[in-house]
Amino acid sequence: MPSLSADNRDDALQNGAVPAPAPAKPRRRRPELVLALIVLGLGVFVIAGTANVTAAASTLGLGPRFFPLLVGAAMILIGICYVIDVLRGGHGDPEESEDVDAQAPADWRGVFTVSVIFLAFAALLDLLGWVIAGALLFFGLALALGATSRLRAAAVAVILSVATYLAFVKGLGVTLPAGLLSGVI
Amino acid sequence: MDALGLLLDGFATALTPVNLLYALMGVTLGTLVGVLPGIGPAMTVALLLPITFSVEPASAFIMFAGIYYGGMYGGSTTSILLNTPGESASMITALEGNKMARRGRAAQALATAAIGSFVAGTIATALLVVAAPLVVEFAISFGPEDYFALAVLAFTAVSSVLSRSVVRGLASLGLGLVIGLVGIDQQTGQARLTLGIPQLLDGIDVVLVAVGLFALGEALYVVSRLRHTPPEVLGVGRAWMGRADWSRSWAPWLRGTALGFPFGALPGGGAEIPTFLSYAAEKRLAKGPAKEEFGKGAIEGVAGPEAANNASAAGTLVPLLTLGLPTSATAAIMLAAFQQYGLQPGPQLFDHNPALVWGMVASLFIGNTMLLVLNLPLAPLWAQVLRVPRPYLYAGIVLFAALGVYALNNSWIDLILLYLLGLLGFAMRRFGLPVAPAVIGLILGPMAEIQLRRALAIGAGDVTVLVTSPVAAVLLSCSALALFIPLLRRLRSR
Repeated sequence: MPSLSADNRDDALQNGAVPAPAPAKPRRRRPELVLALIVLGLGVFVIAGTANVTAAASTLGLGPRFFPLLVGAAMILIGICYVIDVLRGGHGDPEESEDVDAQAPADWRGVFTVSVIFLAFAALLDLLGWVIAGALLFFGLALALGATSRLRAAAVAVILSVATYLAFVKGLGVTLPAGLLSGVI
Repeated sequence: MDALGLLLDGFATALTPVNLLYALMGVTLGTLVGVLPGIGPAMTVALLLPITFSVEPASAFIMFAGIYYGGMYGGSTTSILLNTPGESASMITALEGNKMARRGRAAQALATAAIGSFVAGTIATALLVVAAPLVVEFAISFGPEDYFALAVLAFTAVSSVLSRSVVRGLASLGLGLVIGLVGIDQQTGQARLTLGIPQLLDGIDVVLVAVGLFALGEALYVVSRLRHTPPEVLGVGRAWMGRADWSRSWAPWLRGTALGFPFGALPGGGAEIPTFLSYAAEKRLAKGPAKEEFGKGAIEGVAGPEAANNASAAGTLVPLLTLGLPTSATAAIMLAAFQQYGLQPGPQLFDHNPALVWGMVASLFIGNTMLLVLNLPLAPLWAQVLRVPRPYLYAGIVLFAALGVYALNNSWIDLILLYLLGLLGFAMRRFGLPVAPAVIGLILGPMAEIQLRRALAIGAGDVTVLVTSPVAAVLLSCSALALFIPLLRRLRSR
């Protein structure tokens, strides 16, 4: 994604140079516009997507389309207000949490790495089985999040995935794929 | 006196060894997730939804209620011992609590928080016992139009109160409503918004949405903004307090309870506003040395808000149990749990399942006592939990999120959906959209639709049925006020 580095710089500028909560820079890129447009688009999608839903005519005109029409119309209205708000420089407060440094520039590489690891896990889970795929997921994420000792991360990963498998499959009767280790565990 | 008799029966349910065990599990788990950053009671209850299928409803709700109360206790430990604001309900506690800890008074701060939570939780649960039958009596005559108006009030109040920007709160609500529309229409059997994907016919599971928005969304957000210096955790011994602390704490506890309970019961009230009000009240009422101490670690500033947030948790249960109306994210997930058991909270629940309702209420008294024991002597242990290395913590959260979601249908498609919802949760956090309206919209939306259609069918297409009932008219006016007051205020400030 080519726009990411520019965005990153933008954040760095905003947070480094202008610590005030409302930076009044005239031509700031607005990534939030994408979210606002998604809200607007979803409104259109709800109305268009339920256009061909019909039901037996006995329902006094209040078939399965009625409520989606309301929600869709509301979403379009909200979406328009949201787009206008973003264009006029409005913004919400990014959520605060114990481990979040609201001043730090966004680490897009980290988000990308975590995304790849998670999607790979989703794709390979059935093949590899919970124990192996789960351990790899934990190990990968821990390293991506900055775990310093690989050996320790690997050990914790294996212990966790085996323990959850035993606890949930043998203990609680939840079905999890055995994968490559079927028959062994 | 009737409620008292039912409550005694409830104690009989709650005091069986099995249910005591579930209560203990709930409060322990609740304290743990309350202490741990990045995961809270709403997500924990969501993750446990599928696992509790094999459990009796009464036991499951005893555990869920324990998690809810426990989360409120645990959050205060984080706020006091960690020098950063924790979850929103205990953010105010950090103001004075962390300063107290820095001055070497961590033990007293933790003690006043835990004992205050116990006092407030017990009084507020007693208020719940008194209030619930009254609300039930009032609500028994509610028609579908009244329930629809209640849902609308919950939607607008939650959206406009939880965010400084009303349009962002409403956008979050709308996202939840749209997700709730996906799947087969319950009344006509028509598929809506399924994009031809058969897995979507049953709708998008609440567990998936909640875990995606809360767990994966939080993990992605934390990755993008990870604080690389490890947070400083202040050490603590056994929590205790002296005579002077007691005499300074008891009045703030009671005032906090009085503020927290009604706000918890109001749609959009939540735990944040009463904790803030309680802090402001204590600051104003402080005299002499306490007045000087405010801003440097005054015990009143911990006692009041901590009592307020626990009382609000009990308050939240009043509309949830009597009307089926969730006023917080955790309450919304608990409502989803009721639905999964085929139960509908409301006046009928009190008639048909008294053992469940009163067993749960009785377990709150028991859980509160357990929490006091868990939190006073074991404070140093919970402080240790705060030192879990963050890479392991978040990797673990994602692992459990994946486990819980995959276990729903054994389908990798759910994991992809989980990721997409995680991205949405990430974007919402980054741009300051509150997550709670989305969860409430998702769970309450389908019910609002049913009530609306029922009301209009009874009125034979006449739209005025929605406002002719006085209750509905009042509720809808309140929702209009909730939406327009922030707008007016903004216009005036310009």
